[in-house]
Amino acid sequence: MRAYLLEDIPSLLTHLGKDRQLFAPQHIEDGDLHWLPADAASEPALDSKPLLPLSSPKAFFFAERETLFRFDGSNFIETLPEVEPQALFGVRSCDLCAITYQDQFFKQDPYYQARRQATLLIGLDCLEPCDGGFCPTVDAGPFVREGMADLILQHHEQGWLLIAASDKGKKSIDGLPLPPAPSDWQVQRERHEHEIAARFPDATHIEAGVQFLNSGEVAATTWEAMGLQCLSCSGCTSLCPSCSCFATFEHPTEEADNGFERERCWDSCLYEAFQREASGHNPGAKAGARVERFWFHKFSDDYTAEFGRYGCVGCGRCERICPGVIGVHSVMKRISAQS
Amino acid sequence: MNGLLIPQPIRIAELYEDGEDSRHFTFEPVGDTSIQQAKPGQFFNLTVPGHGEAAFTYLSLPDSDGRCSALIRKVGDLTSALFERSKGDLLGYRGPFGQGIWPLDQLKGKRVLVLAGGCGLAPLASIIEALLADNETQLGLIYGSRDPANQNLERERAAWHKQLPIIEAFDLPAAGTKYIGTPLNHIDAILAQLGGEPEAVLTCGPEVMMNAAADLFIKRGLSGDNIWLALERRMHCGVGLCGHCYLGSSYVCVDGPVYSWNELTRLRGTTTAT
Repeated sequence: MRAYLLEDIPSLLTHLGKDRQLFAPQHIEDGDLHWLPADAASEPALDSKPLLPLSSPKAFFFAERETLFRFDGSNFIETLPEVEPQALFGVRSCDLCAITYQDQFFKQDPYYQARRQATLLIGLDCLEPCDGGFCPTVDAGPFVREGMADLILQHHEQGWLLIAASDKGKKSIDGLPLPPAPSDWQVQRERHEHEIAARFPDATHIEAGVQFLNSGEVAATTWEAMGLQCLSCSGCTSLCPSCSCFATFEHPTEEADNGFERERCWDSCLYEAFQREASGHNPGAKAGARVERFWFHKFSDDYTAEFGRYGCVGCGRCERICPGVIGVHSVMKRISAQS
Repeated sequence: MNGLLIPQPIRIAELYEDGEDSRHFTFEPVGDTSIQQAKPGQFFNLTVPGHGEAAFTYLSLPDSDGRCSALIRKVGDLTSALFERSKGDLLGYRGPFGQGIWPLDQLKGKRVLVLAGGCGLAPLASIIEALLADNETQLGLIYGSRDPANQNLERERAAWHKQLPIIEAFDLPAAGTKYIGTPLNHIDAILAQLGGEPEAVLTCGPEVMMNAAADLFIKRGLSGDNIWLALERRMHCGVGLCGHCYLGSSYVCVDGPVYSWNELTRLRGTTTAT
């Protein structure tokens, strides 16, 4: 991996923006961070102490709502997205881990892949813990992992360490005059991550909760109690960067008498009707079982053989958004208290 | 990869009434398209244009011309719309799906009891036909329905009656039958006709019935590796992406719909959310 010294961010934004649409986390009036179109004049949130954008970047690849195909009365015609080249600037390690997770989950999905392959990822090392985050506990940060971004940025007093982490990343900075980074910056980077990871708040409740969840001994009454607190609002599943469930629905078009389009949209395993069949049979009828399902999917060892990691990447968004106080810290504290 | 979620057009080649609120549909590919071969236990997704897509098991597997059939009961919006369709009408088809299938090779030469409840008889039809083709297999069927009007697969059962012992039981008392109650009430009677305890049990029907059947045969000494159940789950994709058909860490559309009792018990044991 080649490492360069980048003196200023706008020069990189200008260069990358020549051939692609840039997006970066930016503050809007309500104070929250959102993924918005960016250019050299933008002020992307690249703070050393990160505030995560409220939404993860997953909607750039797994669209919140999209058309799958149309039916013209005789044929089913695939409607793959036409995606202009784009770059996501300043993606934190937790979100990059989730993108890698979804890359694998959606490897056969042409809609996801069309968007993903048109995208350059510029990762950003976190130099301080964020509020509510616990990425070191689930092996998802705080520094960008190898193979998860095309370019990696890390802030230094003298400028930015810019690592070309993939062939695509190296090609994207062709023509941008960049001196090599000071020789010891990459070595320091490896050592530095451990120091920053050690500054994260204690997360033994997460470790103990995950262990107890995997023992299969969490009392059904515990899940039922948490089910009472679940409003089925889908805040957690919408903001979770690794959640991927969808529903399909159809609406008529004017193309032919019985022409229609099929769309898919994000769905949530916390909805009462998620598993309900036409007959009324509903394996997911109990709210407690649905809450359990969500956490099982995030933390069961049964998935690690396939994905090499848990579905949870430690971003803490579920805790930020849940109106019922059953985000990851709350749930794991309750579970671990039982163990 | 492209086309993963795109149906191919098929037509209704034939249809006839086959029990209360139930129809037997035969489908055929359109034009020069073909339908891939399938194995007993697999399923397909049927699109009724403008009304969505749902999973159905094959009653008869696709033949060399791609013709296949399904028994479909009218229970919801999609099937109600399908029942408005006529011979020749265009529908959409995706499949075959499911890697968890009836273990045909393991069953050959054994004494096999098939236990069906309601329209759960349909997903068992293709494995019954496949086992009937094997002279070494001893096969018996016990089929439970609410009442005679509710029975399905009249033509198939008429042919099977000549080839294997069958007990037809009814939940409600019916004229001319001595088998009242659930299929589980008549296990000894069917086994007497079959000639002994089964070496394998295949079941499809309401999940509570299948669970009770598995428990009963475990108590009678059968290994859970030789009890096979076909599950029904809501599905929006059939290819392990939409998430609806989860069963522990398994997706029924990919790993099922047929599971051994031991595998099902293992999956259910990991979480109560199944």
